[in-house]
Amino acid sequence: MDYQQLAKKIVQRAKKKGARQAEAFLEVGRQSNVRVQKGQIEDLTQSTSKGVGLRVVLKDRLGFAYSSDFEPSGIDNLVDMALKLAGAAAPDKLNGLPGGKDLGRFADPGVLFDPKVAELPGDWKIKAALEVERAARAEESRIIAFNGVGAGDFVSEVYVASTEGLSGGYSGTYVYLYAMPVASDGANLQMGYWLDYKRFLDDLESPESIGREAARRAARMLGAKRVKTQQVPVIFDPLVASSFVTNVAAAAKGNAVYQKASVLAPHQGKRLAGAHVTLVDDGLLERGLATAPFDGEGVPTRRTPILDKGVLSGFLYDAFTARKAKARTTGNATRGYSALPSIGTTNLYLEPGTKTPQQLIGEVDSGLYVTSLLGHGADPVTGALSSGANGIWIEKGELAYPVQEVTVAGNLLGMLQDLDGLGNDLQFRGGSVGAPTVRFRQLTVSGE
Amino acid sequence: MPRATASQRRAPTSQLAPPVARRAPVTSLLPQPLLERLLAVAMERGGDFAEVYVERMVSTAVVLEESRIKSAQTGLIQGVGVRVISNGRVGYAFSDDWDEPALLRAASTAAMIAQGGGSERSFPVRRAAVPSHYRVSTPLADVEVALKADLLMRADKAARGFDSRVKQVNGTYADQTRRIAVANTEGRYTEDSQDLCRLAVSVVAQGKNGEQRSGMHGGGGRVSFNHWDSFPPEGVAREAARQAVATLGAVDCAAGPQTVVLAPGWSGILLHEAVGHGLEADFIRKGTSLFAGKLGEKVASDLVTVIDDGTVSNGRGSINIDDEGNPGERKVLIENGILKGYLYDGHNAKLMGQRTTGSGRRESFKHLPLPRMTNTFLAPGDHSPEDILKEVKRGLYCATFGGGQVDITNGNFVFEVSEAYQIEDGKLGRPVKNAMLIGVGPEALKNVTRVGCDPMPDPGMGVCMKGGQRLPVGVGLPTLRIDNVTVGGTKVG
Repeated sequence: MDYQQLAKKIVQRAKKKGARQAEAFLEVGRQSNVRVQKGQIEDLTQSTSKGVGLRVVLKDRLGFAYSSDFEPSGIDNLVDMALKLAGAAAPDKLNGLPGGKDLGRFADPGVLFDPKVAELPGDWKIKAALEVERAARAEESRIIAFNGVGAGDFVSEVYVASTEGLSGGYSGTYVYLYAMPVASDGANLQMGYWLDYKRFLDDLESPESIGREAARRAARMLGAKRVKTQQVPVIFDPLVASSFVTNVAAAAKGNAVYQKASVLAPHQGKRLAGAHVTLVDDGLLERGLATAPFDGEGVPTRRTPILDKGVLSGFLYDAFTARKAKARTTGNATRGYSALPSIGTTNLYLEPGTKTPQQLIGEVDSGLYVTSLLGHGADPVTGALSSGANGIWIEKGELAYPVQEVTVAGNLLGMLQDLDGLGNDLQFRGGSVGAPTVRFRQLTVSGE
Repeated sequence: MPRATASQRRAPTSQLAPPVARRAPVTSLLPQPLLERLLAVAMERGGDFAEVYVERMVSTAVVLEESRIKSAQTGLIQGVGVRVISNGRVGYAFSDDWDEPALLRAASTAAMIAQGGGSERSFPVRRAAVPSHYRVSTPLADVEVALKADLLMRADKAARGFDSRVKQVNGTYADQTRRIAVANTEGRYTEDSQDLCRLAVSVVAQGKNGEQRSGMHGGGGRVSFNHWDSFPPEGVAREAARQAVATLGAVDCAAGPQTVVLAPGWSGILLHEAVGHGLEADFIRKGTSLFAGKLGEKVASDLVTVIDDGTVSNGRGSINIDDEGNPGERKVLIENGILKGYLYDGHNAKLMGQRTTGSGRRESFKHLPLPRMTNTFLAPGDHSPEDILKEVKRGLYCATFGGGQVDITNGNFVFEVSEAYQIEDGKLGRPVKNAMLIGVGPEALKNVTRVGCDPMPDPGMGVCMKGGQRLPVGVGLPTLRIDNVTVGGTKVG
């Protein structure tokens, strides 16, 4: 089936039936993943899937419908439903699709598709997953089981068309490996988690290194204890730092800003952190997981600094929110076919510093190195952040003993001000958000 | 991708939505001869068991922002998943294309997991009766969108009318009409229609000096649309507004161990996280849960009896059948502190020589079933909520809750307290902000020193996440006192 044609046909159908504007967003994908257990396959899943979302504007009212049924009757029903739903929504002069001025020319995102991933031999994933498991057990004899060890890939295609002259499509590949080993010292259990997730097979870490690192992370937590409640320097490893970065970006979303429901809203143009802190959303990052020529409504993607050398320089917008805030869309509309576009990040990362993680730890007399968090992070309205934490206590510049059942708490604004060290180890671990090791001058650690 | 397990109140609206069964009703989701043919193809390489799962879900969502209906949306997702089990290994394939050749291809793909020779066996299925714990008068998909939008307009008005400090009101109404059918090589064929709806309102209030606080409330269940007559949106909205306003002027939470009293209802998240996930059979079988091998042992205070019940009338987590076609059940997991049972899906139950407890659930045909909770609650005790509070000299009263998360391996759990008050000499004092509780499941339950006589279910908006799959669940708890809980906060000393 020619999906680009189908997207255009759906748009024409909607226009013919009375829509002032219409936009079809179509996704097609195939994927496969395998989990292994004790040297055997545990389960193997394969699938193909597809779906289309149709957004229509009818007399300034917005309607949206989606479907995975591509039969002609299914498409007819989709169009009718979207138009009918527009009738239930309130008119808003700001409703509308991105116009010619926003759409413009797609930038060149570089290569998104790896034929090596698309044509992975059927047994590659099985062999890789088995190797991850074997390496984890070889690294650490105290690994007693796994909550999961696996490998997978998928290939996706995206097509979009609209009455505003938009027409585009691209396809991309993804491949991943992960392990969640459980270590035991006889009395207690601890889980480690490590993974890698890339567009290109050659960028993917070896199964052996994934297994070994996962095992080390599980075993080093054995014997973890609580510490006293206190305020100390706290270091986030890159996996944990990336969730902090996600929290900051959530408060920079344009809708939270125009609703004045963001702790960052009043601070545009102000200095919020030291000059070493630069946080960027870049939809064109070379080989990035979220790199694409256009966003969820066909607007060309771009690089948008949120914190530029410590100054709050920009917010993230889609077309509607930008009109609302009298700004320009930044190409940050994210979506799947079953949802209306909403503001999201593309490749989001905190630029690295120059120190090694060991140097950052070495400069701390007494503090906490956090290796995993529990909970949902910060409240974008107030900036309050409170999370359960696991990690390793730092004494006199050295990692001393594992810690669990504590919380770390602070506020996004205070944490940005307090961010006094950045590692040179920027990594995108398991997603499109990247960060290096990050040190905060002081956070509250709550324990005994 | 793998994810840690978590429960949360806030679900994305994208997965909830609605409309109309364009094809025939559930009785003919797929014709019986085709189902049987798919089972035969699934077993053609000699598997031990095969199952066909058919799903068709129509969802609707309406969003309110700035006192207007910003958007209304509806969607249809349908597909068929085929699972084959052979020597403990699982093969799974699904198709969202209902063409017969596409479905047969999915069955053949799933069959690849088996390596035996071909066979020409047939697998006739017979319809099994299913219980009825919810039945809606009119499918939610057939209710006019204008009526759904009206709920939100009423909520907006009530929230804004509650207090002049209310500055932002956002609301979402979402429902789904989900029909499933399950056929397996044991000859069992079952089907169910699972309607579900939810209204959620969030409010931002602004106090002096620009201080902002948010509040959130909602509810719903497997109910008919007339549920909103007895559970009006105005009440939901006022509660969200009350939370936001009540916490203006809150002081920083003191960090460190405290005695906490939990208000009834939503606080059931504690049970869900502290023990529920750790009792799921997949973790037990693999030995990765701290509750593995502890049946018959004391894991909580005598006061603690925990029940998972899929048969609650109209409950958000209730199921007539689970997603393997087995009836939902009521299970006592912990009785007076003693561990009595685990939650089994069919696959893990077989591998462990046990009986399924009707706990095999999946988000959709795109997923394998996992052992999951339904509605999880704590049996009531003898103490009046007033007495429980009166006895506490100094502590923290936790009134409303955000989400929670657990690491089932070491038992560490957290849950977020969105509205809390200091307790001084048995009375509520100032509101406290940004509190979070952290503990280890069995230790926290051993520190339960009072259980109230006021059982209360949550209002019906829980979403549980495990293995990347989101499911509706219910929780419930009477007023509860727990001693020596670590409270996360920003203030030391």
